[in-house]
Amino acid sequence: MKKLQQRIRPWLVKYFALPSDVILELPRITIIGQLHVYIENHQGLETYSDTELRLKTNKGFIQILGSSFVLKMMLPEEILLEGTITEVKFISE
Amino acid sequence: MKHKQGSFIRGYVTVQIKGNRPELFFQKCMQAGILVWDIKKTGDDLCVGNVKLSDIKKIRSIKRKMDYKIQFISKKGYPFFIKRFTRKKQLMVGLIMSFMLIIFLSNIIWEVRITGVPSDIEEKISKQLNNYGIHSGAWIFTLESPNSIQQQLVQDVPELLWVGVHQKGTTFYLEGVEKSIVKEEESRGPRHLIANKKGIIKNMYVSEGLPRVAVNDYVEPGDVLVSGILNEDEIEAEKEEDENSEETETNLELVTADGEITATTWYEVTVNVPLEGNYEHVTGNQKDKYYLQLGRLQLPIWGFGKPDYDEIHRESNEKSINFFKWELPIKFVTNTLSEKVNNNVERTKEEAINTGIQQAKNELKLQLGQDSKIISENVLHETTESGKVKLNLYISVEEDIVRNEPIQPINQGD
Repeated sequence: MKKLQQRIRPWLVKYFALPSDVILELPRITIIGQLHVYIENHQGLETYSDTELRLKTNKGFIQILGSSFVLKMMLPEEILLEGTITEVKFISE
Repeated sequence: MKHKQGSFIRGYVTVQIKGNRPELFFQKCMQAGILVWDIKKTGDDLCVGNVKLSDIKKIRSIKRKMDYKIQFISKKGYPFFIKRFTRKKQLMVGLIMSFMLIIFLSNIIWEVRITGVPSDIEEKISKQLNNYGIHSGAWIFTLESPNSIQQQLVQDVPELLWVGVHQKGTTFYLEGVEKSIVKEEESRGPRHLIANKKGIIKNMYVSEGLPRVAVNDYVEPGDVLVSGILNEDEIEAEKEEDENSEETETNLELVTADGEITATTWYEVTVNVPLEGNYEHVTGNQKDKYYLQLGRLQLPIWGFGKPDYDEIHRESNEKSINFFKWELPIKFVTNTLSEKVNNNVERTKEEAINTGIQQAKNELKLQLGQDSKIISENVLHETTESGKVKLNLYISVEEDIVRNEPIQPINQGD
């Protein structure tokens, strides 16, 4: 059953032009220059330090690297990171 | 960012978490729905973040389940500010005192500025003002209203024609207009003195001119009293002589007639005097009550208790209190309760006549001016009608009846 759902969803996105982040429960990342990263739809903090932020998503992790990180705001499923961003990486499980 | 709004007003706390992987503590907070912001990792096992004051209780309950050490680093926001402020009593007292001082100083006259009059009158005015209690350093609300000051000043300083008093903040501005005592322009030209009223000449003093009347003469208005033509008689005589001959040039000797002539004049005056009168007057017993008025609310400050008289004449005087130049909604009210007495006067006929005569005399005196003198009065006729005495009076007065009349160049010869 789960398999079917997972197959239908990309199809929905493709043919009905529905927003993929909502349908697929994927994180939506907005990056403003090197200054901000705004991540919605994540599933929790994994690691956080001055130079690294790692967030859980439903398919692996997002790793953000950089320096002088400050979490400007933290809400359930929303995070705003400020600092100097150098890398955004997806790490699959 | 919307979530952070108002956090300063409601207060927030910077917490430091110590422990293994401290960021997970904030992760837990987040899951519990607590807003955390500005999270910084300051060390391997240290993490700092801001939490709203109202969320602290929740944080404590989260902490109990976990193995972290929480430290509150700094408290920011309005609630803490107030708390800190109220703790410093001296500061509060000082602030209130300074506020009071400003109010106090705002209600003191700092300057009395007089403009528009020469310095000697200015000095006079300021002297008078001192008498009224208006000087720099006086309480503003103990003073009378600018209007009454204005009236009093005009009364007490005769040189003033008009004075405008207005108060602007802590300064009294007085703008005076001097009575320019216009000396009646002595028409130095030739003139007669003629009578302006009928009467009997009582006194004559002629300093220049040819008198045409004598004491005890009866004059009608328009009669020449003192002639300005000195050789009038000669001219008349010459005229008669030369009646039929050709015109002769006669030189007129013209002067400015001058003199003082008083005559007895008389007036008929009718007065009505009621036999019954009703008037009230205050006895002089009075009690002041002071209030602070805030909108409609009156807070008594001084003068409690009822006065021990029943008939009361009330007088209320409001003064608003200033803060700098603004009026505060607080007013300082003085209520003066004076005892009054209702007087019912029943006059006998004789008394009524007397008051009537007195009244008529006063009125006449007012009409004729200060120089006139009332010599005698006679009651010509009196009737009593519906509680009133009607009097017909005959009053004789001694007064100046002189009027100047310039001599027009007379066309001689016809």
